Amino acid sequence: MVPGEVHALLGENGAGKSTLIKIISGVYKPDGGEMRLDGKLVAFSNPREAQAGGIATIYQELSLYPELTVAENIFMGHAPRRQVGPVKVVNWSEMTVRAKEILASLNIHDLDVRRKVGSLSVGNRQRVEIAKALSINARILIMDEPTAALTEADVIRLFEIVRLLRQRGVAIIYISHRLGEVFELADRVTVLRDGQYVGTNEVKDVTPDHLISMMVGRTIDNLFPKLDTTVGAPVLEVRNLWNKPLCRDVSFQVRAGEIVGLAGLVGSGRSELAQTIFGFTPAQSGEIILNGQTIRVRNPGDAMKHGIAYVPEDRGTQGLIREMRIRENVSLAVLKTLTRTGFINSPAERDLAAHAIEQLGIRAYSPEQLVSKLSGGNQQKVVVSKWLASKPKVLIMDEPTRGVDVGAKAEIHRLISELASQGLAILMISSELPEVLGMSDRVLVMREGRIVAEFARKDATQENVVSAMMREASEPNGVPTPQGVLQ
Amino acid sequence: MTTIRQMDEQNPGAKFRRFLLRQEIILFIILTIAIILLTLGSDKFLTVDNLLNQGRLLTEIALVALPMTFIIVTGGIDLSVGSIMGLCAILLGYMWNPSGPFQWPLELAVIFSLVVGTLCGVINGLIIVRIGVPPLITTLATLALYRGLAEGISQARSVRNYPESFYVLGQGTFLGVPTQLWVVLIFVLITAIVLSRTVFGRSLYAIGNNELGARFSGIPVGVYKIIIYGFSGFMSGMAAWIFVSRVTTTRSDMGSGLELDAIAAVVLGGTSIFGGSGSIIGTVIGFVLIQLLKNGLALAGVTTDGTIVVIGTVLIFAILINNYIQRRVSAGK
Repeated sequence: MVPGEVHALLGENGAGKSTLIKIISGVYKPDGGEMRLDGKLVAFSNPREAQAGGIATIYQELSLYPELTVAENIFMGHAPRRQVGPVKVVNWSEMTVRAKEILASLNIHDLDVRRKVGSLSVGNRQRVEIAKALSINARILIMDEPTAALTEADVIRLFEIVRLLRQRGVAIIYISHRLGEVFELADRVTVLRDGQYVGTNEVKDVTPDHLISMMVGRTIDNLFPKLDTTVGAPVLEVRNLWNKPLCRDVSFQVRAGEIVGLAGLVGSGRSELAQTIFGFTPAQSGEIILNGQTIRVRNPGDAMKHGIAYVPEDRGTQGLIREMRIRENVSLAVLKTLTRTGFINSPAERDLAAHAIEQLGIRAYSPEQLVSKLSGGNQQKVVVSKWLASKPKVLIMDEPTRGVDVGAKAEIHRLISELASQGLAILMISSELPEVLGMSDRVLVMREGRIVAEFARKDATQENVVSAMMREASEPNGVPTPQGVLQ
Repeated sequence: MTTIRQMDEQNPGAKFRRFLLRQEIILFIILTIAIILLTLGSDKFLTVDNLLNQGRLLTEIALVALPMTFIIVTGGIDLSVGSIMGLCAILLGYMWNPSGPFQWPLELAVIFSLVVGTLCGVINGLIIVRIGVPPLITTLATLALYRGLAEGISQARSVRNYPESFYVLGQGTFLGVPTQLWVVLIFVLITAIVLSRTVFGRSLYAIGNNELGARFSGIPVGVYKIIIYGFSGFMSGMAAWIFVSRVTTTRSDMGSGLELDAIAAVVLGGTSIFGGSGSIIGTVIGFVLIQLLKNGLALAGVTTDGTIVVIGTVLIFAILINNYIQRRVSAGK
């Protein structure tokens, strides 16, 4: 990095961008390797040391205090003080003046430093973050997808600020999924893939296609045991489904025995679509048709009754009750069918759990083991078995292999293939492109809540799918971007 | 692969140890020690008459603590039970009062007060589920609200002179045991079975451990919560009915502080205040222990203020011992 450079960091979901910046900014410790700042070897053991070294980071989720004012947020942790008798107190007037100065230096004149941050728009909050970084004299500013939650007008202002900072000699690491921004702003670009460095180029030397192939450029190995299946009649059909903001006029079909992959960037609305079909967030309008019949899905119970199962993306908080036993988790979705006159039929429940452990090869010493003591891959198998127990007609799997090791991953892939060959209709959401391409009979691509492309298996190449995922919205102000929520 | 059963066969001691370290067993041991100490304190303590009489006195706390166990298992709390009991008691007397405005038959007045109690609980549930106000705040507010209603309706006048037959429930005996103890026993059995053996009970644990996960499993979380808060209201009404029958009068301050005794019994019984674990049998040991301590210490000549201090201390120690042992058990796995 050189002063006054804007350096873009590119990569797919899970390529390791966020991990890299967390190491640079001292949140995580590196397992090895070295980092040099001004030629000197540095090692930050916490974010405070990194800040003292002049590195400031603006994360995707802004880290401001909504109940405090703009000025207080900018000077959080290093407020100007003055001596009053024996104690030092915050010098409020100086803080206000200096906050105004910093904002003015960024050409921001329309922001009242006495306002509470919670009442500001997302764009303004981000400007406060930038001002905060400058107040600690940051020389390196890391921005993690700064435009993800911004409206078009805010994006333009952000670009102005970035250019202003560049002129002042601040080095900026800029992470974005939007290739257009990279070409507009960056001087150099580095691509990461699967946690590894792929290459660094001058932006003027590369084309978008070149970058995309660098990002995805890996061969699909034979990790995916896709079985040939006979695709039957449509099982699930969705027509004009709306559930704002992230499910917009969605229509598609999944046929018996078919695996449909749903690709898209994080935040493109894939999980939201799945949760709408599952009734967790009921649709505002549109039709869900199962085996030719229109069904009403107002809650997950309705969806389950009709044979729709959903393996959620976060198994820890959504898929499992981790403090409960394997047996109790496997039976949770189907307990009603395991009852004798209202009482849980314990032998049947134990049999179900034992069967699940055997069928999916869950490595546990007993069905009575707590799920929290299992490895990630085995936990995921428990979630899958829980939904298989409900004998679904449609299985929606959201990131079925996130956070599981390679071995368990292959087992889960084999299972998905087998289920499809038994005639189950499967909708698989995944952020791992090889998984989507390797497993799917068809690939749907979502962007900003809409299905923007559909590829048959033979046409679904990495380049096609990625460019559909990342293409800029055709109409600049057509779709209002959802407002981010302050954490 | 070895299962727990196989491990037990190899090591018979392990099974026995695991049994001994169960939460309820530890509590039972604490209860036994307390009984021995209290017996040493007074020769009037361990007599059939005294114990049966204590059974009468713990009824109201017991009836309220049972649904409270359900609620705390889901990670909630109900502070309004004492106020609901007060309101139900007042309504019972007010609707029946032969010199009052309604002069209903006593049976009808009882049913009416039970319905109102249930409704009060359902309102708690609706506020918690539909509006999303935390249970602590919701029931703190309705604690004041329901008590205020009770005071407004009663106008500080008490209703007395119920027919003789009405007192059977609160003062009579059946097969030599106080009538209300049979009622407690029936509800203990029902709630214990519901919590440990039914889909509903299992769902309550799931909600308490991970509400989002429970929703994603298709459990109608909102409906279940409304049911348990409604049940809590109903049981507060039952407690009011029995209490009026025992003390032969109605006053608007009846049941104040009841919620704290009930919560203490539930927590003492090993139910986690954060939800997700607990049992009815634990709660039963909890309210029995609290009542016996109150009585035994009084018989041993300890003053009322002293008794409260002792009960508080026992509560803290019981929980500390239990936490310590459970942590050791789970670390040893």
